[in-house]
Amino acid sequence: MGAIRKYLKILRISLVERLAYRADFFLTTFLRFLPLVTTFLLWEAIYTGSEKDEIAGFTRDKMIAYLLLVQISRMFSSMPGLSTGIARDIRDGNLKKYLLQPIDLLWYLLSYRGAHKIAYIATTALPYALLFFWFRDVFDLPGPWTWLAYFLSLVLAFLIGFFFEACIGIAGFWLLEVTSLMYIINIFTFFVSGQMFPLELLDQYPGAMEVLNALPFHYLAYFPAMVFLEKKQGDELILGLVIELAWAIALILVSRWMYRLGLRHYSAYGG
Amino acid sequence: MILRYLKLWFSLAKFSLLGEMAFRGNFVVKIVVELLWLGMLLVFNFTIFQQTTQIADWKVNEYLFFIGCYFTMGGLMEMLFLDNCNQFSDLVRTGDLDFFLLKPIDEQFLVSCKHIDWSCAPNILLGLGVMGYAFWLGEWELDFFKAVLLVVLFISGMGLAYGFMLLLMSASIWMMRNQSLFEMWWLFTTLMRYPREIFKGRFAEPTQLFFSFVVPIMLVTNVPARVMVKGLESSWLPWYAIGSALVVLGVSRWVFRAALQRYRSAGS
Amino acid sequence: MPIIEANGLSKTYRVYQKKEGLLGALRGLFSREYKEVKAVEDVRFAIEAGEIVGFLGPNGAGKTTTLKMLAGLIYPTNGTAQVLDHIPWQREDAFRRRFALVMGQKNQLWWDLPAADSFQLHREIYSLPTEQFHRTLGELTELFGVKELTRQSVRELSLGERMKMELIAALLHQPQLLLLDEPTIGLDVVAQVTILKCLRDYNSNRGVTILLTSHYMRDVEALCKRVLVITQGRLVYDGPLTGITDRFGREKLVKLQFDGSECPANLETFGDVTSRQGPTAEIKVDRQRVAAVMAAILDRYTVLDVSIHDPPLEQMIAKVFEQGGVQSPGTPVPGLSPQ
Repeated sequence: MGAIRKYLKILRISLVERLAYRADFFLTTFLRFLPLVTTFLLWEAIYTGSEKDEIAGFTRDKMIAYLLLVQISRMFSSMPGLSTGIARDIRDGNLKKYLLQPIDLLWYLLSYRGAHKIAYIATTALPYALLFFWFRDVFDLPGPWTWLAYFLSLVLAFLIGFFFEACIGIAGFWLLEVTSLMYIINIFTFFVSGQMFPLELLDQYPGAMEVLNALPFHYLAYFPAMVFLEKKQGDELILGLVIELAWAIALILVSRWMYRLGLRHYSAYGG
Repeated sequence: MILRYLKLWFSLAKFSLLGEMAFRGNFVVKIVVELLWLGMLLVFNFTIFQQTTQIADWKVNEYLFFIGCYFTMGGLMEMLFLDNCNQFSDLVRTGDLDFFLLKPIDEQFLVSCKHIDWSCAPNILLGLGVMGYAFWLGEWELDFFKAVLLVVLFISGMGLAYGFMLLLMSASIWMMRNQSLFEMWWLFTTLMRYPREIFKGRFAEPTQLFFSFVVPIMLVTNVPARVMVKGLESSWLPWYAIGSALVVLGVSRWVFRAALQRYRSAGS
Repeated sequence: MPIIEANGLSKTYRVYQKKEGLLGALRGLFSREYKEVKAVEDVRFAIEAGEIVGFLGPNGAGKTTTLKMLAGLIYPTNGTAQVLDHIPWQREDAFRRRFALVMGQKNQLWWDLPAADSFQLHREIYSLPTEQFHRTLGELTELFGVKELTRQSVRELSLGERMKMELIAALLHQPQLLLLDEPTIGLDVVAQVTILKCLRDYNSNRGVTILLTSHYMRDVEALCKRVLVITQGRLVYDGPLTGITDRFGREKLVKLQFDGSECPANLETFGDVTSRQGPTAEIKVDRQRVAAVMAAILDRYTVLDVSIHDPPLEQMIAKVFEQGGVQSPGTPVPGLSPQ
């Protein structure tokens, strides 16, 4: 009798334990998609309220497609912890490791991030696939050339995202506190990259679009999504990609230049 | 008893302020971040209302009041509790929770009120400012009873939010997850960031009902904001919000105490 | 009525066995394996008011776990304890007002503020009357000799000064029981000695009961008449410090000084020669054979000086630890678990 009770108790404890872990897993997954879902609902309410078919050139379906696609863009272009990591390495003196070994900090981090991104995309592929399948009606599948351009724009978005954040991190050679700077930049990026809403919505403010287009941030979210939606076509598409490439190269050069300058500064301090 | 804890809270607040003075730089950054965030919300709000006259049944001023309400509440939660609760998993991991358990003070009080994050105080002012501005634009009627009810609803909203934060925090003892409470909280509070009325559709409606009545996180901002701008539409919903706040506070305390029993006091 | 009474305290941890690799992590999401680790097993002892008791044992032996159970920080898996007439893990406020726990490896003072501010906060937390608080604080800063340092921010203090501040903070509410976990860890000898002296003075003036764990024999020798030895979670010795020698020390150290400039070559036949320098030598000899060996040596050689010692306590303790839970024969010690 006692033995049975003991095993019942063990059974109950392990059941609770496993359920707790599962509940935690599913709660976390659910919470991850929550901001996206509430944004859809908000836009549904906006379209219903406005009684318009199109807002800023987007139909209801295209708006949802856009909001889904910027998630994909950000999957490639966001670099959580990159700049703060570099700044920490500089401050704690871990940087020596890279100086002593025959590797270059930036290329090492780039390949590390790349591998990390691929693993991340692979593990989140399933829920995203389900999400996209659920909303399959809002997409028109583009042709092969658009796919190619889309893929290109995403890879370049990854490079721009990486080297932009790397620049901020390298600024840690001179600045004490990069974390709080990054906070500000993250919030700013959320807005100007078009992650919050299509930038066309700002067309009503004169000059706003021109300023945003002149900055590299819209390549982080807005541009790839627009490519996929075939809202950028022909010359506009080519020009967009060329400028994106130019930004990527420029940021690579700037980050390398800053890094070299920073190292000189660093060794001058005898760090 | 209550007086003693109130006195203790004021000293904690005082010492937090003294500590904060050491890092004035953070203060500035924090204000800039919050100003940017609020600014973006307002620009978005304003831009949207160029396209439509209402979101669900919220008009522009009403929605503005909602945003102000959310901002104030979020600011208060951040200032009073978020930092403390966020540190909890660290306290558990390093074993520094020991010191909190040794003091002849209620553990829950000490864990969740130890440090007051004064850098969030400007948020509250900003939120109140937006609420005030919306109120000035909206010209809603306000009598004594409604004002008292609003204050009570606002406080019970805070109680609800605090209870949920405590629950999420206590769960970290079981889960030992490395994800920060900060992030979980931000995701979770997505549900108090929008009016309930936008949840329309086959799946959204039941979700809304679930998070309004079973896990009533949605009531936190919705009930006080709605009562302000639309008056008393429902005779029972405000009472439900107050009652559920009491229940959630009770349950979260119970869970927190249960979680403490699992504490291992790590470190040697 | 003892101040501390532990009756068969046991603590078993379940340790989650992490699986290797990505696949393991994924599997761990749904099924987890645990290993049971017995940190403390069936520990019994009692401590009377005013005693200073040392708690010895190698790392991971269960000293700190026992101490934390007595402080009410963790719940025992089995067994009971009474500390100051309370069950510690119920953590009643009345109980927590009457004792203090100081951990050498942890810091509870507000890092960025002067210690005086942390003391003020203590006053609020323990709701001490202002006048009494100032009097106690004055006495304590006097005793520890840190009167001038309380306005300096804690991060600027040396390790020893910081430890003194920690002890002052712990003593402000005049606890009847002081639990100390490695109070002198990492301190230099001077700081260590002053802190020990302060603790001894405080104990004789106030009659506070002290239970302390330490790695350093110096601490234990300076303070404790009685020690508890714990290895692998079990209490293996409870009694006077000197008793350890009788119980665990099987050998004596014989120091000899011979006539002439060299000592004889065949000393090894008498015992373990631990050192040999000119005409002096040290031999480790089994306790029972000391008399016989001495007689034989004196018979054969001219000895100028001879002295017989116990081996250093430190070595003896290390030996006890090596023996682990193995019970050495001898008279049973009161309070020791009957196994």
